[in-house]
Amino acid sequence: MLIKFLFYLFFLTGFVFANEGKNLYGLNIPNSSLNIGGYLDMTYDDMRRDDFLFEDIAMLFSSNSDHFDLLGEIELSHISLEGKSSIHSDVDVNVERLQVSYNINDNDSLVFGRFNSDVGFWNQAPITILQDTTTTPHVEQYVFPQATTGMMYKKRINSEERLSFTLQYNKDLAHQEETLKIDKHIALAYVFESDEFSWGISLGTYRDNNHINSHYAGLSVEYDNDLISIQSELFTEEDTVHQGKPYSGYVQSVWHLFDKQDMVMRLEAYYDKKNDLKEEIYLLGYVYRPFSNLSLKGEYVYHSKLPLNRFVYSLSVLF
Amino acid sequence: MFKIFLFLVLLLELGTCDGIMVIGDKNFPDMNLSKQDIKAIFLDKKRFLNNQKILAMNYEYGNELRVCFEKSILEKSQKSLERYWRKAYYKGKKPPKIIKSIEMLFSYIESVSPSIGYIDANTTLKEDVKILFESQCS
Repeated sequence: MLIKFLFYLFFLTGFVFANEGKNLYGLNIPNSSLNIGGYLDMTYDDMRRDDFLFEDIAMLFSSNSDHFDLLGEIELSHISLEGKSSIHSDVDVNVERLQVSYNINDNDSLVFGRFNSDVGFWNQAPITILQDTTTTPHVEQYVFPQATTGMMYKKRINSEERLSFTLQYNKDLAHQEETLKIDKHIALAYVFESDEFSWGISLGTYRDNNHINSHYAGLSVEYDNDLISIQSELFTEEDTVHQGKPYSGYVQSVWHLFDKQDMVMRLEAYYDKKNDLKEEIYLLGYVYRPFSNLSLKGEYVYHSKLPLNRFVYSLSVLF
Repeated sequence: MFKIFLFLVLLLELGTCDGIMVIGDKNFPDMNLSKQDIKAIFLDKKRFLNNQKILAMNYEYGNELRVCFEKSILEKSQKSLERYWRKAYYKGKKPPKIIKSIEMLFSYIESVSPSIGYIDANTTLKEDVKILFESQCS
């Protein structure tokens, strides 16, 4: 297993050197605006039977013209290095995002397809390589839909403020199991963004595949400078059968200790009425980014109620 | 000994960049571009001028003009920019076009409108370009 791991590590780092410091990702197809790249996350979770798992391997493609942008993210998930996974018998292929944006001008744009709405901050960059932890907060998975298949109108009010309106009234384009499977979603999000400080509020309603309607509201805050990044989100959700989540939130601080090394602390709390569970989750982690598009992470997650205390490690590459 | 020291100091002075000039093509719309506007253009947050897509150009990583530009105009560290562009790439945004020399910059500025780039503030301008903003290296 160690040899395999080292082989993949060696293979992956091949992607990395070429990009160092350039902030350029993907491969540009000559004589076109098409750019093809991707990312992969390999995780080790000591609660899984599989030792190492390719949590995600995804292809990202984008193309830009004057007013139209195409963006796609096709993902293969849960591929065990042993060739099979104890969790999923087959490899999942899923359309995470497939969206066409029409940029009317700098202030107004329309997005069609399957996309991440403007709701929440974590949800804007939900993949491991873009985050400082391998595990995801409860609020990101269980309180509001991560992806929407429909349309979104984005309005930039000025250089610091923007509004967006999201609408879905159809089946989800993706087939893969997600925590929240929905066929209706209406959301309104406001975001204020300055150099170091951002905050946003979101309101929305959705209907899941069991025809249960839920409403949510949330506040997201982020502070980011060269010494520390702090991100916090607090949401509340209620549904028509009174089994919602009165609160779910987290505060995560990332200390940029050295040039390539960060330390992470996250405190989470949620109340899930359906399972009659009030829980706190504490996370302590370490991130090493030897290159801008490669990260090695290790974290210990402590759950106050559920028997999910564990170490999780990951290696992620963006290419 | 003093002469050698003076020579070395002068040599160091010649090798550093004191300030930059942000320039646009000769047809670049007359507007008072603020630092915030330039920042938005180079971070792919502002794409259009008079309904036309702007071509923004940047130098290669490590170029001293780029170091000055990132500190004084973008006001972001290398690490902060890396974090920004990782997320921006995921959202389908693209960083400015990389150019390898000032000659290449002028060549694009001559042929594409609207286009924007930056040069050393001490450069003597011969080409027909518009100076949009000037800044000292911080």
